[in-house]
Order: sequence, then C-alpha cells, then structure tokens
Amino acid sequence: MRIDLEDLLFSRDSFTLRGSGTFGAGVHLVSGPVGSGKSTLALLLAELLQPGSGAVRRHGVSSALLLLQFPEHHVTCPTVAEEVRSWGLAPEDVLLRADLVGRGDDDPFHLSRGELRRLTLACAVTRNPDLLLLDEPFSSLDCVAKREACRTIEERGAGITIIFSHERAVLPRVDAVWEIEDGALTPRGSVPDAIPLWRHAPPYLAYALREGARPENIRLSDAREALCRIRG
Amino acid sequence: MQDPRLRLFAAAVLSLAAFASTAGAVAALAWWLFFTPRTKALPRPGVLFSLIAMIAATALLSAWGGGPGLSYLIRMTALLLLATWVYAETEEGEVLGVAVWALGNRVGFEIGLIAEMGLTGLAVIRQEVEQMRVAMALKGIRPGVRSVVPLAVTLIVTQIRRADEIARLLVVRGYTIGGRICPRFEADPLDVLASIMAVIPALLSSLSLRDVFILVG
Repeated sequence: MRIDLEDLLFSRDSFTLRGSGTFGAGVHLVSGPVGSGKSTLALLLAELLQPGSGAVRRHGVSSALLLLQFPEHHVTCPTVAEEVRSWGLAPEDVLLRADLVGRGDDDPFHLSRGELRRLTLACAVTRNPDLLLLDEPFSSLDCVAKREACRTIEERGAGITIIFSHERAVLPRVDAVWEIEDGALTPRGSVPDAIPLWRHAPPYLAYALREGARPENIRLSDAREALCRIRG
Repeated sequence: MQDPRLRLFAAAVLSLAAFASTAGAVAALAWWLFFTPRTKALPRPGVLFSLIAMIAATALLSAWGGGPGLSYLIRMTALLLLATWVYAETEEGEVLGVAVWALGNRVGFEIGLIAEMGLTGLAVIRQEVEQMRVAMALKGIRPGVRSVVPLAVTLIVTQIRRADEIARLLVVRGYTIGGRICPRFEADPLDVLASIMAVIPALLSSLSLRDVFILVG
C-alpha cells in the first residue's frame, strides 16, 4: 500500500506547490508554516484538487478519507447523532470515543470547535480507511485533547496516515517526516534519521539535538528519554 | 453596464415587463441578448440547468392542468436570465451606493445595508453548498432526495446563526441607524441607451399586442 507523487505541480495565482516522493504504510508528518500549502497538498492527495501537472498515484488503497482543517465544514446534519450516522457509523461508539456521551441530540454547531474536532476525528478513525489524511488535527484542542488525539492516531494499526500540521508542542509517534518550504515538499526520511534533517523541528527536539542526544521519535517524551540517556 | 443605478433600473423595469406578459418577457429576452454579456454572465451550467429544469417542471405541471405552462416557462426564464446578469455584474458596495443616492443616508443606508448583507449571504450560501458537497463526497453520501432535507436544515440554521452574529457585531461596533457615504457613479453612453431601450419591453407588456402591431387575420 503506497501513494506516489510524480513530479506534482499545482499553481494558483502566485502560489505554487511542487513535490515528489512516496508515502508508504505508517504515520507521516507533513510540517510547514501556516500558508505553506499543507491543506492544498491534503486536497491533492484526497483527489479533491487536480494538479496542473504530474500525478498522485494510489497503489493498493481502496478507501481514503480527508479530515478537513475546519471541522464545521464536515457538518451536514442538524444533530450530533445524525451527523455520526451520516458517516455510516453508530452514534453510541463514536460519542464514547469522542467523549461526547449524552450530546447526541445537540446541534453540532453548539459544540465548541475542539469538541467538533474530537467528533470528526473519532468518526474518521472509526471508519478506518486505508488512507487517512488529517489536516491540522490538533488545532483548537487543549493539551489533554491533543495527547488523546495523538494516542488515537498511534493506535491506528494499519494503512497510511498523513498528518498535515504546524503543531510544535504535542505530536504523535510517526514513521516519517516531510517538510513544505518555499512551495516545495521535501522528504526528510524515516524517523529517527529524519530528526536531525528536520529544519523546523519543535524546540524540544532542537534542544535535545544541540545537547548531543538522539531522540528515537518526535514526541516530547522521546526527547526527554534521549536527554536522560546521555546525562545518566 | 457600468452605472449600477441604470443597471438596477433596467433590471426592475425588465423584470416587471417579463412578469406581466409573455410579449414583455420575449422583448426582455431580446434586450438581454443585445445589451448583456449573455453567456459570460451565467452561472455554472449545472446550477443554470437545474434552475431551468425546476421552472420547466412547474411549467409542465401547469400546462398539464390546463394552465399557461409555456407562458410561465418563457416569463420565468427571462426573469432568471435577468437576475443572473444583475448578480454577476453587481460589485460590493454598489447596492448600498444606489440606495443612499436614491433615499439618503438614513433610510437609504438602512435599505442598502440590508441588500448588501443579502447579496453577501448569497455568496456565503454558495460557498457553504460547495463545502457540503465536499463533506458529502468525503462521507460517501450520494446527493439525492434523502440528503436534501438535512442539508437544507443545516444551511438555514447556519444562515440564521450568521445573521445573528452580524447583528451582534454591528451592535458591538456601535451601529444604530443610518450612515454617511458619498457614492460616485460612472456611466457609459451605451448604459443610457440600454436603459432607454429597457422601457420598450415594459410598454409592450402593458399594451395589448393588437394596439402595437397590425395582426394579419
């Protein structure tokens, strides 16, 4: 199971995005500053946008799902329970997973953006597609909810998961890191070898590297462990 | 048409003509062919054809029941084409400018502001329908009769909430009533000609055809 980007080029007005590479099974993090083109790449990979040239080729991927940057854009029903059913899922399981038990009759727009984010993430993960694209899945979440979201992503055993995020504090365990910079998607490689090559790595990883530590993954706990190892 | 005053005048007169009689509607269609960018001012084919299909279905029902189905089809099509032309040509702030020019900074400003908010709302609805289309595609829902009702409810609720938010925002910014703007308009000589010609369909619709043409037989 893999996604190949073949000389992908997308242009709109003065914005251009280009990139090549392969997303294999596992969790990938595509990082980059706000406005760098992460959402555009997510839409291209979801085949909701067509590239100007080049191609996105899916191999062995039978189902794909994109979680949009703004969770309210997913809402198509007037109650939370109906909203879950519109994803083809049973409300009870999903509401439990999203920590929204008893809110089934509420208007989805009466949920906070963080609650709506939890709901859409729970729906997407429960659907368990081969390709799961998560556009800024940690935005609008508090630290506890971010950690819970990370755990949910890490627990997804199979398939390709691609996270598009500028988050620099709470991140999940990933298999590969990519960066978008100056309109170009650059693969940094597999973790942990990718960490020293990650130009805009979170401050705690940069600090660990400066201290001579070699974190095994990109989480704060990995940086702490690596620092503990060298300091005894 | 550059001048929004003349554009809105022409649209109002032609709409009345098209609504009043089939002859007025045919004349309004002729005016539309001569004085508008025609196909360049139309919405996407999918939107246009679905609107025409709705009109045609109603016209068919009317004709089937012995009503004036064909006349309804012609009149409503003329109104639809005029509406899409005015919507495509109207730029932000123009309706407010025309309302203030016509009715002053108090009543005119109020009416203009409401009209501007309505026009902005149409653009927002279009965006939201597009977002819902994407959301449905992501969820694997095929557009159909069963999905129309929840979508319409969600759309209406969102619009009511947005209107409430805008009202609160106006209050927070200290808005009470009226405002002061000095609108400026530029008119092309062709605008004046087109506006004068727009009166002809209105006259045709208010007169019997026998009074205008000598009909054979």
